[in-house]
Amino acid sequence: MFALILPAVLVVAALLVGPMVLLARISLNQYSATQLMIEATTAQNYLNAVADPYYRGVMATTLVMAFTCTAVTLALGFPAAYRLARMESRWKSLVTVLTLIPLLVGNVVRAAGWLGLLGNDGLINATLRGLRITSEPLQLIYTPGAVAVGTIAVVLPYMILTLSSVIESIPRAVEEAAANLGASALTVFRRVVWPLALPGTVAGCVLVFILCMNTYATAVLLGGSQFKMMAPAVYDQFSKGMNWPFGAALAFILLAATLVLTVLGTALLGRRYAR
Amino acid sequence: MGTLLLDGVSKRYGEATAVARVDLDIRQGELVALLGPSGCGKTTTLRMVAGFIEPTAGRVVIGGRDVTRLPPHSRDTGMVFQSYALFPHMSVADNVGFGLEMRKVGRAERDRRIAEALRLVRLDALSDRLPRQLSGGQQQRVALARALVVSPAVFLLDEPLSNLDAKLRAEVGLEIRDLQKRLGLTTLMVTHDQDEALAMADRLVVMEHGRVLQVGSAEDLYERPANTFVAGFVGRCNLLAGTREGTDVFRLASGAAVPCAPDATARGGMLAIRPERIEVAPDPAGAGRLKALTYLGARTEYHLELAGEAIVAVTPTPLPDDPRRRLAAGDPVRITWVPDAARVIPLDSAESPAR
Repeated sequence: MFALILPAVLVVAALLVGPMVLLARISLNQYSATQLMIEATTAQNYLNAVADPYYRGVMATTLVMAFTCTAVTLALGFPAAYRLARMESRWKSLVTVLTLIPLLVGNVVRAAGWLGLLGNDGLINATLRGLRITSEPLQLIYTPGAVAVGTIAVVLPYMILTLSSVIESIPRAVEEAAANLGASALTVFRRVVWPLALPGTVAGCVLVFILCMNTYATAVLLGGSQFKMMAPAVYDQFSKGMNWPFGAALAFILLAATLVLTVLGTALLGRRYAR
Repeated sequence: MGTLLLDGVSKRYGEATAVARVDLDIRQGELVALLGPSGCGKTTTLRMVAGFIEPTAGRVVIGGRDVTRLPPHSRDTGMVFQSYALFPHMSVADNVGFGLEMRKVGRAERDRRIAEALRLVRLDALSDRLPRQLSGGQQQRVALARALVVSPAVFLLDEPLSNLDAKLRAEVGLEIRDLQKRLGLTTLMVTHDQDEALAMADRLVVMEHGRVLQVGSAEDLYERPANTFVAGFVGRCNLLAGTREGTDVFRLASGAAVPCAPDATARGGMLAIRPERIEVAPDPAGAGRLKALTYLGARTEYHLELAGEAIVAVTPTPLPDDPRRRLAAGDPVRITWVPDAARVIPLDSAESPAR
């Protein structure tokens, strides 16, 4: 058995754990404008990041964006996933593939598409002007809303596929039994489908939340220069600011926040419905 | 409490007919079994009564109320699912109490009725367990209690014994029948197992290809089958093709003449003889031949050949000193039956060959 997982373990160790350890070490170094990085063991980078109102704002933006997108994705994804899971016809595999197709388009390409749709001369504004509904272009692009819409479009397939596999594991007869005993469709959902799907719902939300917390391309391309989330902030420090220690500290703060919220959410929801 | 009336109920899926004009009238307190091979439309019929499938035509009337267009939750049926379909995240008591809760029965009254229902199925000690902590037989009793506790107008059983092992099956079948009688439940049951249907039902409905072939008591179906499918499906039966000559002689396809009951109206068709009605005796001058015999303890099966036809006879195993005990494969035998045991059944060309 061990021989089977060894290659995967080695790959993970080499490509994930190694760089992370390195990054952790870097985050404890000192930045110098002339030498860029000085070997040290200091928590100063973390303290600076936490104390700086700008980065507190970036963190808040990231959290609000991730929570909002996860909630909306769940609300949009659950009905679709239910419908997909309960499909019996031969169209089911086709619909499953259609759900996956958005994943074939990379985030950058997709965001570029959104530019063409939401931009000042994009399809929506051109149509509105053409119909003389507006004279000035509406500010659709470079808004938090644009980032949210773009992010949700990216993560929705993950949510749908995770949820539908869980819903599929709930026997149809259990729902029918509830209906037979007098439960309306809404009650069947509330008392049977939702609690039985909850473990999968938590898994889907965790997956989507992590993806949202680390949004990069969508945030940069659709958010514009005034809008900043954590992942682009980390990148800025590494590439533009050349402040690797501070960038590494930001990266670990993002990682820690994601980890803590994920574990906390799983534990809380898991305990609430565990018997 | 209620009655159930199916009036020309049909279900078509595009070109395919799953159920074709089923008429059925179930009296208060009666247990009727839909019996047939898989794909005969019996489960579709049951699900149309429960409201999970909408009929293409016809009416479903429960307790005098037309429920054809009502959703399942407004129909007042209590269904026991083949898979039991217990709520895995609820305790036994909560499973049983679910229907009462939906009917807005108060807490105290609900607890009382849950306890009563669990006592009825002898599970009162396990009310706090989760379904996965119960054996298959116990889960089934929870499913029964859950459906019974709401006193439904019509009780629906979908293959209630099929997931139990053979030993438990007869016992649970009798138990369900006893409960059903005691509580006076109007019941529609679906099964593919003829023994189950014969043992439990007041009346049986034999279905094939979506049509009802015969409705009657166990005795009606076994002793007076309306066609060869019923004869072959309910119990074992020897079916011999041929034509009737005179009142009590039947000419087999091979040309041999054998006795038959005089009451039949049909001329051509199948001669139906139950295996236990056939007598076998060793006879060097006999017209039959023993091809094989199977000793089954209490019974012995004789696989015979008469005028080119294969015939099965079953008798209680003869005593050790009986000459039949010395029969061996290949021996010539005399095969006889009283004329009343052999009924001529008209051949319905639409029927599939009986087994």
